[in-house]
Amino acid sequence: MTYETAWQEVRDQLPELQHVDIVVGIPTFNNAATVESVSKAVTAGLREAFPGATALVMNADAGSHDGTPDLMKGAVGGSFPLALFHQRGGGPPASMAAIPRLSESGVPGRDEAFRAFFAVARQAEAAACVVIDARVRSVTQNWIPWLLQPVMEGRADYVAPAFLRPRYEGSLTNSLVYPLSRALYGVTLRYHTGGGYGFSGKLAGLYLDRDLWVGEAARCGIDNWLTTVAVAEGCTVCQAGLGDKTLDAGSGSDDLSGVLAQAVGAVFHFMERYQDVWEHRTESKSVPHIGLPYHPQPDRTAINVERMIKGFRQGLRDLLPIWEIILSPETLSGILPLGLTESEDFRFPAPLWVQTVYDFALAYHEKVLHRDHLLKSLTPLYLGRTASLVLETRDGKPEDAEQSIEHLCETFMRMKPYLIERWRFA
Amino acid sequence: MKEMWQEAMVEAFRETSKRLALFLPKLLALITFLALGAAAGWLVKFLLMRVLAALRFDSLCERVGLTPALARAGFAQPASHAVGRLSFWVVFLLFAFMGIDALDLPTTANLVSVMIGFLPHILAAALLLLFGVLLANFMAEAALIAAVNAQIQEARLIANLIRWGILLFTAAMVLTQLGIAKEIVIAAFSITFGGIVLALAIALGLGGRHIAREGLERRLRKKKSEADELTHI
Repeated sequence: MTYETAWQEVRDQLPELQHVDIVVGIPTFNNAATVESVSKAVTAGLREAFPGATALVMNADAGSHDGTPDLMKGAVGGSFPLALFHQRGGGPPASMAAIPRLSESGVPGRDEAFRAFFAVARQAEAAACVVIDARVRSVTQNWIPWLLQPVMEGRADYVAPAFLRPRYEGSLTNSLVYPLSRALYGVTLRYHTGGGYGFSGKLAGLYLDRDLWVGEAARCGIDNWLTTVAVAEGCTVCQAGLGDKTLDAGSGSDDLSGVLAQAVGAVFHFMERYQDVWEHRTESKSVPHIGLPYHPQPDRTAINVERMIKGFRQGLRDLLPIWEIILSPETLSGILPLGLTESEDFRFPAPLWVQTVYDFALAYHEKVLHRDHLLKSLTPLYLGRTASLVLETRDGKPEDAEQSIEHLCETFMRMKPYLIERWRFA
Repeated sequence: MKEMWQEAMVEAFRETSKRLALFLPKLLALITFLALGAAAGWLVKFLLMRVLAALRFDSLCERVGLTPALARAGFAQPASHAVGRLSFWVVFLLFAFMGIDALDLPTTANLVSVMIGFLPHILAAALLLLFGVLLANFMAEAALIAAVNAQIQEARLIANLIRWGILLFTAAMVLTQLGIAKEIVIAAFSITFGGIVLALAIALGLGGRHIAREGLERRLRKKKSEADELTHI
C-alpha cells in the first residue's frame, strides 16, 4: 500500500463503503502483545461516544512477523468495517536494526501510514480522523472521545496528546522542544509525542496538500511534524490529557544522541520552512485542554546526575573545538566556567541554555558543520542542562520542576529577538 | 704563429657568436612563454572565478561542508580562490614547460609530452588527496562525537587513530597513483597496517578480553545500561 493506492485498496476490501464520518488509523509493527487491547478499547470508545457515526478502522502494518494484523482482525470482529494494509513501496524496509534510525516512535514507514490514513479520510469525506499507536498498553476507551469530540464539534482541527509523566521524564521535550516550539509558534502545547492524535478532515487534506512529506523531518520525526505543521499553519488546536502512556517493552531507542538529532533536527528544519511565520509571533497563547488535567507525577527511578555532569565535562574537554565553531564567543565564555564547578553546585542557567540552543539553530541554518554532527554535539550540553534542572528541583515538590520549565519557556520567548536578529543576517 | 693565434681567436669568437645567435632566440622564446603563461594563467583564473561566482560555487561548498573541512585542513581561503589559484599555476606551468622545451636542451627534451602524459596521474592523485583529507576529517569528527556521547574517555585517541589511519591509507594510494616507489609503498603500508591490526588484536586478546566479553554480552543480551534511566522524548 502507498498513500496513492490506499483508497482503491479500501474499496477493493470494502466495496459497499462510500462515505464515513470517522477514520481510525492504527499503524502496527510486531505489536502482538498490545494490539488486541488497543483495538478493543478503540471499538468500545467509538460505540460508546459516537453511536450514530459511521466509522472505518484502518490498519497499516509495516511487515509484522508475529501475526499482528490477524490478532487485530479478531479483536475488531464485525463491529466496524476494517481495512488491513501491508505497507510497501513508499516506506523504508521493515528491518529491526534500522528502526531507531527511522522513527523516534519505533514504527518504520510511520509517515507513509499517516499519509495513507489522511488520503482515505479525504476520499471518504470523513469529518474526523484519529490515529492510535498499537504499542501503547495504557490506551483506554476514553481516549476516543477525548481525541475526537473537539473535532466532531468543530472546536478544533488538531487534538494533541498530553500524558501524565514523572517530572523529569521527557526531559528533551521539556527543556528544548516544547519551550523552543512555544516561543516560535506562540502555542502552549506540551509537544508530547505518540499515543494518539485527532485531526479534522480539513487538516488531513491540508497535510496532504503540503509538499513536506519528502525528507528526514517527515520520515524520522512525523510526530513533531504533525504538531508543528498544524500550529504553524494556524489551525485551531486543542490538547487532550490522556493519562499514563505505558509502552510495550522494547519500544523506542536507547541512543540518546540519535533521538536528540532527530527531534531537534525536525524543529530546526521547520524553522527554515516557517521562518515567515515564527518571526512575527511575539506571544504565546494557551490552548483548550480536555481529558485528564496535566500535572507532573512523582519520580519512578533515581536520576544519576553525576553521570550527566561527567558527560557534560567530557564534552567540554573533547568537543570544545567543535563548539567553538557553533557557539558565539559570549555563549562559550558562559559555558567554560561550568566545567570547574563542584557537582553539587553545578548550575546551567536558563538564559545560557536558551542562548546555546539559539546558537545551535543559527549554526544549523548557516550550515557551518555537517548537520548530523552539529545536532549530536549538542548532547553533552543537554545533559548538563538536565543535570542542572534535577539539582535545582529534586528536593522540592514535583510542581517545582514544572515552574522551572515555565520559567524556561518565558526565557525562550524573552530572548527570541536574539535569534531573529542573527537569523535574518545569517 | 701570430696567424694561428689570430685564427684561433676569430674561430672561437665566431663559434661563440654563432651559438649565442642560436641560443638567444630560444631564451627569448622562454621569456615570451613565461610572460604569456602568466598572462594566460591570470586570464583563466579571472574567468574561472567569475564563472564560479556566478554559479555560487562558494555557497555550494559551504552547504556540502567542503569549506569548513578545508579550513580545518589548513586552507583558510574560499574554495573558489583555491580553484582559481590552482588553474593559474596549471596554465603557467604548461607554458613554462613549453618554454623549457623551446631551449632544446638535451636533458629537457620532450619535457612537455612527458608532463602532459603524467598530468592525468597528477590530477587523479590530487583528487584522491582531497577526498582522503575530507573523509579523514569527517570520519574523525563523527567518531569523536559518537565516542564523547558514549562517554568513552579515550574519545580523542579514537578520533585521531581514525584520522591518521585514513590519511595513511590516502598517502599510500596517492604515492601508488603517482608511481613513486610503488613496491616500497605497498610493502610499507601492508607492514604498518597489518602490524597495527595484529598489535590491537594481541592487546585485546591478552589485556582486554574480559572487557570485550562484557561489552559483547551487554550489546548482544541488550542489558539496560545505567544511562537508560530517563526517557528523553
